[in-house]
Parts: sequence; C-alpha cells; structure tokens
Amino acid sequence: MITDEALVTVENMTYTWPGGPTIGPISIALPPGRLVAVIGPNGAGKSTLLKLMAGFLPPATGTIVIGGRQLPTLTAQSRAQLVAFVPQSLDTSFDLTVEEVVRLGYLNRLTWRDRLAVRPHVDADRLDAILHKTGLHRLRERPFTTLSGGEARRVLLAAALVQDTPLLLLDEPTTHLDPGHAVTFLDLVREMVHVERKTVVMAYHDLASVGLYADVLWVMHRGQLVAHGDAQSILSSPLLTDIYRVSLVYLAHPQNQKPVLIFP
Amino acid sequence: MAHGKQVANYTAAILLLAFAMVMGIMHGPTPIPLGTVVHRLLAPNRSIDSVIIWDIRFPMVAASAVVGGGLAVAGAVMQALLKNPLADPYIVGASAGAGLGATLAQDLVPWLNLMAPGAFLGALAAVLLSYLLSRARGTVSMLTLILAGYAVGVILTSVSTFLMLFNQQDLSTIFAWEIGGIDGATWSQVLVSGLLIVVAFAIVWPFAHDMNALLLGEEEAHHLGVNVRRIQFVLLCAASLMTAAAVYVSGLIGFVGLVMPHIARRLNGPNHRHLLPLAFCLGAGFLTLAQIVAESIPVIGPIPVGLVTAFLGGPYFLYLLLRQARYQRRWP
Repeated sequence: MITDEALVTVENMTYTWPGGPTIGPISIALPPGRLVAVIGPNGAGKSTLLKLMAGFLPPATGTIVIGGRQLPTLTAQSRAQLVAFVPQSLDTSFDLTVEEVVRLGYLNRLTWRDRLAVRPHVDADRLDAILHKTGLHRLRERPFTTLSGGEARRVLLAAALVQDTPLLLLDEPTTHLDPGHAVTFLDLVREMVHVERKTVVMAYHDLASVGLYADVLWVMHRGQLVAHGDAQSILSSPLLTDIYRVSLVYLAHPQNQKPVLIFP
Repeated sequence: MAHGKQVANYTAAILLLAFAMVMGIMHGPTPIPLGTVVHRLLAPNRSIDSVIIWDIRFPMVAASAVVGGGLAVAGAVMQALLKNPLADPYIVGASAGAGLGATLAQDLVPWLNLMAPGAFLGALAAVLLSYLLSRARGTVSMLTLILAGYAVGVILTSVSTFLMLFNQQDLSTIFAWEIGGIDGATWSQVLVSGLLIVVAFAIVWPFAHDMNALLLGEEEAHHLGVNVRRIQFVLLCAASLMTAAAVYVSGLIGFVGLVMPHIARRLNGPNHRHLLPLAFCLGAGFLTLAQIVAESIPVIGPIPVGLVTAFLGGPYFLYLLLRQARYQRRWP
C-alpha cells in the first residue's frame, strides 16, 4: 500500500563534529518508496547526514522521526528494524563466511530464545532468496575477506536486506566499482525501491548516472541541505554549476530521456 | 562451516580433554596405573592411591582444565572485543594489576598468604581503571582502551617493582607466583574459580552473535542492531572476571589465552557460537597436557606450567605475527 505519509521526518537537525564543521539545521520529510540520492561536493556533509539518519551520530539539536518513532529513543534492536546501512567497505581480519555475514542481518530480530540456542531459528527460504537475488548463492562458504569490492558490497547489501527495514541507507554504493558491477548493484537497489517499496537514501557522486536511478535529489553544500526535488528539476537548474565550481552540460539520455549531467 | 565437521571437532576436543585429565591423574612422582585410577575415581577409599588421586592430582588436573578453558574463552572474547587477533586476556592491564595485587598482599600481610585473592582483585581493578580512563572523553574507543590498558600496565608494574625492591625477601615468592603454576591447587580454589568462570561464560554466551557483528567493526555492529557500548562493557567485565578467576588459581599463565582461540577459530571458524565452547575444551586440554610436560622435565622439582606454555606458545605467536604481516591495516 502506498501512502504519502512521510516515512522519515527530519526537523531542525544539527550536528557539530568535535573541533570541526557544523551540519544543518536540516529539515526534510521523505515519503516511502522513493530512491533518494544525496549529492554535493566532498566534505559537504553527505555521509554525516546518513550517519545521523542511521542513529550512529546523535544530533546536537532537532529530531529525526522514522516510521513514527523518535530515532534516539529507540533501542539498538528496534532501530535496526527500521533502518539499515550499507557501508562502502569493511575492514576485518576475521574469516567470517559470506553466509555468516549475511546472517548477521537477523541480529535485529534475535529473541532471548535465539540467543541461548546453539542454532538460532532463521527463515532459510528467505535467506536463500536474498542470496540468489544478490547473486551470492555460489559464494556462501567463501571467506568475506577474499571477496572483490563488488562482491563484498553485495554481501553488505544482502545483510541489510535480511534486516528487512523500510529505510535503507547506502554510502556511495558504486565508488570503486567498474561499470558492470555498478549497474548490477544499482539495478538491484532500484528493484528494492520500485518492487518492494523500500525507501533508499544514498550518498552519490556520479552526476552522469545519478539522474538515471534517483527519483529525488538532495543537494548538500557546506553542511546545508540547499535544494531538494525531483532529479530532472535539480539537474537542469544552474545550482550545481555554482556548487561544484565547474561548468556542466545537461542532456536527455538518448534512449530514455532521463536527465544526464556531463562535463563539457 | 559444515555442521558435521564442527561436531567432529567438539568430539575430538572433549576426548583430548578427557585423555589429558586421565593422563594427568596417572602421571606423577609415583605413577598410578589406569585401572586403579578409574577404580578409585568411581569408588574412593582410604588407600594411599585414593588420597593421592582425590586430594592432590584430581584437584590439580581440574584446576588446569578450568584455568586453561577460562583463559582461552577470555582470550577469544578480548580478540572480538578489540577486533584484534593478537589480543590476549591480559591486554588491558589485568596482568599488571594481578602482579601488583599479589605483591601488595605479600608485602602488607605476608602471614596471611593472600597473594591469590590480591591478584584476583588487582586484575579486576586494573581493567576497570583502564576502562574508566578510556571513557574519560565520553565515548570509549577500543583503541583508546588498548592504549589506556598499556599505560595502566606500565604504571602498576613500576609500582610493584618498586615494592619488590624494598622487600627483597619476597622477591622469589612473587616471581615464582608470576610465572604461573598449578602445583598445589586445592578443591576450594577449583570450586571458586570454576564457579566464576561458569558464570562469566553464561554471561558471554547470549552475546555470541553480537561478538560476530563486532568482528566487522563497531560502526557496522551498530547498524546491525548491536548496542555497541553496552555489549563491549558486558564482554569486558565477563572476560576480566574469567581472567581474574584463572589468575586466582594459577598466577599469570601466558599464551593459552592468545593461541587457543586461534586454533579453535581455524577448526570451527570465527562464529563465536561454535568458537567459544571449542576454545574452552582446547584450552582446558592443552593446559592439562602442559602441566604433565612441566612435571616430567627432569630438573629439581616440577617447573611452573606457565614456563611450558610460554615456551610452546611463543613460537606460535611469532608465526601468527609473521603471517599477519601479509595483511594491511589490521589494527582496529
């Protein structure tokens, strides 16, 4: 069911890095079932905004409400049932297998009975389905540390899908991926949004492809959310040329007429 | 990790432990044959053999098992907590605290023989102090905890060295204690230490999945739904309790807590649900065997088992270190 009631409401949220820049105040509402890309130059505050929405950083002032619940008041488990976060990469020296990492997505629904059991009960069919969808079913037993960048990112996405949250945050999901892996990954994400009605907010860098995937763009600049709107109107405005300090050429994609920004 | 393989590993480890314990009871200045051991274990009487078995060797073997198992689990927990495969149970000040506690007890009230309880309290206090210092700025970073633990360790060790210089008659007593030995362990020690270790294990067990998540880093664990700060505190307390309980019986036995989790991880994989019980069995079996080795070396009297574990564990640690050099950025 599609409602236009906001899934996420951010009001007057600010955050100050110790001895560093201040983010916000930011106020924005986000209806469910959208793919949002947060764009802006390096250091504009994109990642900070995502970490605030993930409850990893506590806002200095203001509120974040997700699914009708105040983020900072939630327990870790309830929060992780509402919002999942896919990082760019992980650094670990322990050889957990792909399946063990993906299964960690169940942590947010672990009961005390599961915690005491030798083998916690999981829905094996659902796990299989997610591993298939993310193309990981053949890699189940592979140590996570031996994966390529594209595979590792799919594992982290799969764990987030197991979490089964209405809101999914992605931190620059295609950085360091070749075009093949990047498109595979973004197609997966788009399917989550348009088929499963998940809401995705991703920090994103590539202006050429952002309009092909995102429904909505949020533009961050110097810690402020300076503009937001549908991809077409944001990409065609002169704002981005100002912010990035580079002249940009707006095109309609020859096949699907979607907005594309390229360097001259 | 295949279920069947894990079951096989558990079975092998439990057999190893049982074998080591029976061997440990048979072995000694006067060997007791297997048949007598089994007989007297089932039906104790007032014979010399029965007294040797029940009052001397069995408590010692039980102490080895409890201490070895406790140290191995404490090591596995600390490695997950600090996300560092080279962590050991003593890393955040426990050894220095235990050393100072034992030294203070020996210097202040030498007639009461309170080195063991002193070490127990010292180990716990030092870890707590490191934790509180690392929290000073509001949040705890595990890197800060390692550094704070190191600083606390250096300071406490310097204090105990200072004390030892002024009480040189106690020097050899304290030194012998610090190397770590199990000779002369009593049932009451085994009971106290065993109970504490069981309690600490029961505290750790429900958080095995959270520990798996911590292997991926604090931030990822947070996103997956782990209350990172609380879990870290709980795990640190439980691991320190196990360590202190082991130290209470045996002094400072090195390398069991570092090496056994690695071997268990190699056998059963890093999933703590299957790592922790196996680490316990392996640690228990290993220390019991090491105790037999320590008693068998032909010098005047038995040598402390801590020396044997260090001699065997040191090279393995070097091997791990060299192997690790191939990876980059492993420090948390």
